[in-house]
Amino acid sequence: MNDVWERVEPLLRQVERPARYVDREWGVVRRPDAGYHVALMYPDTYEVGMANQALQVLAARLSTLDDVACERVFIPWVDMSAAMRAHEVPLFTLESCTPVAEMDMLGITLPNELTYTNVLEALDLAGIPLRAHDRGETHPLVVGGGPCSHNPEPMAAFFDAILVGDGEEALLEIVASHRASMAAGLSREESVRALAGIDGVYVPSLYLVGDDGVVRPVDDAPARVTRRVLADLDTYVSPTCPVVPYADVVHDRATVEVLRGCSRGCRFCQAGMVYRPVRERPADSIVRDAIASLRCTGYEELSLTSLSTADHSQLEEVLRRLANRLEGTGTAISVPSLRIDSFTVPLARLLGDGRKAGLTFAPEAGSQRLRDAINKNITEEEILTAVDQAFTAGWRRVKLYFMIGLPTETDEDVTAIAALVERVFATARAATPPGERGGLRVAVSASTFVPKAHTPFQWDGQLPIEEVRRRQVLLRQAMPRKGVELSFHDAGSSLLEAVLAKGGREAAAGVEAAWRAGAVFDAWSEHFSLARWIEALASAGIDAAAYAAEARDRHGALPWDHIDSGLSSAFLRAERERTDRAETTADCTFGECTGCGVCPGLGVDVVVAGGERRG
Amino acid sequence: MAEGFRLRVCFRKAGRLRYLSHLETGRAWERAARRAGLPYAVTQGYNPRMKVAFGPALPVGTAGMREYLDITLTRFVPVAQVQEGLRASIVEELAPVECGYVSPTEPSLASRLTIAEYEVELERGVPPQELERSLDALMRTGGLETEHKGKQKFFDLAVVLPKEPEVMSDAGRAAVRVWVRMGPHGSLRPETFMSAAIGPGRPVAVTRTELFIEDEQGWIRPL
Repeated sequence: MNDVWERVEPLLRQVERPARYVDREWGVVRRPDAGYHVALMYPDTYEVGMANQALQVLAARLSTLDDVACERVFIPWVDMSAAMRAHEVPLFTLESCTPVAEMDMLGITLPNELTYTNVLEALDLAGIPLRAHDRGETHPLVVGGGPCSHNPEPMAAFFDAILVGDGEEALLEIVASHRASMAAGLSREESVRALAGIDGVYVPSLYLVGDDGVVRPVDDAPARVTRRVLADLDTYVSPTCPVVPYADVVHDRATVEVLRGCSRGCRFCQAGMVYRPVRERPADSIVRDAIASLRCTGYEELSLTSLSTADHSQLEEVLRRLANRLEGTGTAISVPSLRIDSFTVPLARLLGDGRKAGLTFAPEAGSQRLRDAINKNITEEEILTAVDQAFTAGWRRVKLYFMIGLPTETDEDVTAIAALVERVFATARAATPPGERGGLRVAVSASTFVPKAHTPFQWDGQLPIEEVRRRQVLLRQAMPRKGVELSFHDAGSSLLEAVLAKGGREAAAGVEAAWRAGAVFDAWSEHFSLARWIEALASAGIDAAAYAAEARDRHGALPWDHIDSGLSSAFLRAERERTDRAETTADCTFGECTGCGVCPGLGVDVVVAGGERRG
Repeated sequence: MAEGFRLRVCFRKAGRLRYLSHLETGRAWERAARRAGLPYAVTQGYNPRMKVAFGPALPVGTAGMREYLDITLTRFVPVAQVQEGLRASIVEELAPVECGYVSPTEPSLASRLTIAEYEVELERGVPPQELERSLDALMRTGGLETEHKGKQKFFDLAVVLPKEPEVMSDAGRAAVRVWVRMGPHGSLRPETFMSAAIGPGRPVAVTRTELFIEDEQGWIRPL
């Protein structure tokens, strides 16, 4: 292992925020003498990556293996990468400042499509060949995972293996398999092939795309890769001693995952489909891990995370117990992802005891018809009641998320967003004492619908960008001006997201061409160029606009058919048909099984800690 | 408001962590105080925060051997116990050097600490005699015009340098000790001063070695 710190340090005097590159935080685990070295990378800056909970979970799991070192890697900001290239300093890990190319394994999470070029940037800075088939015996295994593994094809060529689903157990099996292969003196090709024997692991080199667009194994690899699911979230403690950054990172706080999965069934939402079933952690474990984490990290804020935290059957009990334990310490408790219909008076009161951060709700659509069509399952009355309760309890700011371009959307649905916002504002105003109305703010954020794999909308096309922009203008004109801040997510990056979210293996050439043309940090608006991407995709034979807009045959082949998320396509098709009739489907954790196929297909079950959910 | 017990901590910012900003260093110490389980006081109001105050900011890249912070405790904890707790709750690069209680009515560190002592390490190969000559020449001019982020500034050396810089020629190093007076006129960065004396690009490391309170009796340490 070569420590390159001596070569890194001189560069730190010329770059922004050098704290990103120096390591030495509280909670770092250092194992220089380990027999096996894993680098875990989040493909964005330190500030974004350090907030990722999955990497904290995986690092904690790996730390249970005595002879394994787990080190962090992030993407150097453009000033640093330029300095590194100018001085021939390779991409290095934080803990030991070792070149990434000297690791045994490089694990990369794929959080969203806009980080794809950052993966290539990292491989290039590390001196690792971009394409898996160009790598030699000494290069680390490059293993992917995370949300985008559910449609791995656009990135498949750059990975030796990709894990689909929960990593708590699978990552340890991957490490064990690779170590056994190394001990047996197997070649790189044989080691990679062995990984295909692990449930949930996709080895792209063992699959070919047929003329019909279907991805098939070339020999004895499984025809479909089945998503890994951790049946009981309480098997492992939530990581209680994660690394505590110095730099001001995105979510700079202690976190405890309270549940995984969400079966509310919003039809556009990939996370709500592919992380089923709902698995709650018991209140005792949550409180225990929260207190342990605050004690170990010294954080001043605790976040209870999940896709839909207020759905937890014991949330009120958890909040009450935490409030008792943390009284007088100035510790704030935050609950992200609140569903409007689970925001109750006691909940408002319990959250209000700490610091009142802004409140965020996601009605997603303005009209009841469209909310029913996407299966949001909330009514306007519920929205206004929640706002009334929040502002009565002392909140003064609320942020509302909407989407433009959802399947079946009309102009009436778009203007209905403005009408709803107007009523929200009026309700908030009425619940606020006259003297405090000056600070009242309603922020509205409208993103563009992106069709995602393994959702009922996976066959839908995205609205053409010109039409998205027309509807944005329509919304802006209809929106009340006083007290409302309206912002739009950039339609250009949503177009790229759609191409890559729908893309097959052929998209890889487009990703590589974009990176070669200088695309990096695509999620950062100052670095994103749609024109560059359109040209790069064209060079790979992809007409971006047409590709994003294309609706697919609901009985035809999809580029992700070989990835088995557990959802039956009959369920997804039926859900898509209910969209056209604006029919809703209930959440199975509150009522009957909806037949999505996950529990019987993956041999798991819904876990509700309190026995029963109230909704 | 002068309630509680004002604990003063003298700490380092050294090694790789010289690259932390003032804000980052402050956050690190607040979290260390929480980890150590100190009975810290919190501010009243909407966003309760730990009652903690820091000495003058140290620039990114500059190390400090004796930096200071004051934290208000709600009850008395013996100094040895505080020190032990803090030492076990923060990384070596930011380790506490010493602790002690000061009067709760004492003015803030930022207003009291006006003299900073720096050690500027230079590239090897600058002969001490040449250094002495360059420094003398600059001191004789009496003033220094600087530009930082597009802003022009003039420093009267007789005011901002309370003591003649000293060339240290021990053990083959080339280093200069500089004392700077901080105040409403701004603070002269020691590397700026050295660059003016011997040309740009020469200083390799800057360390703030001491901070002093200046009063009628002279320079006194805050602890």
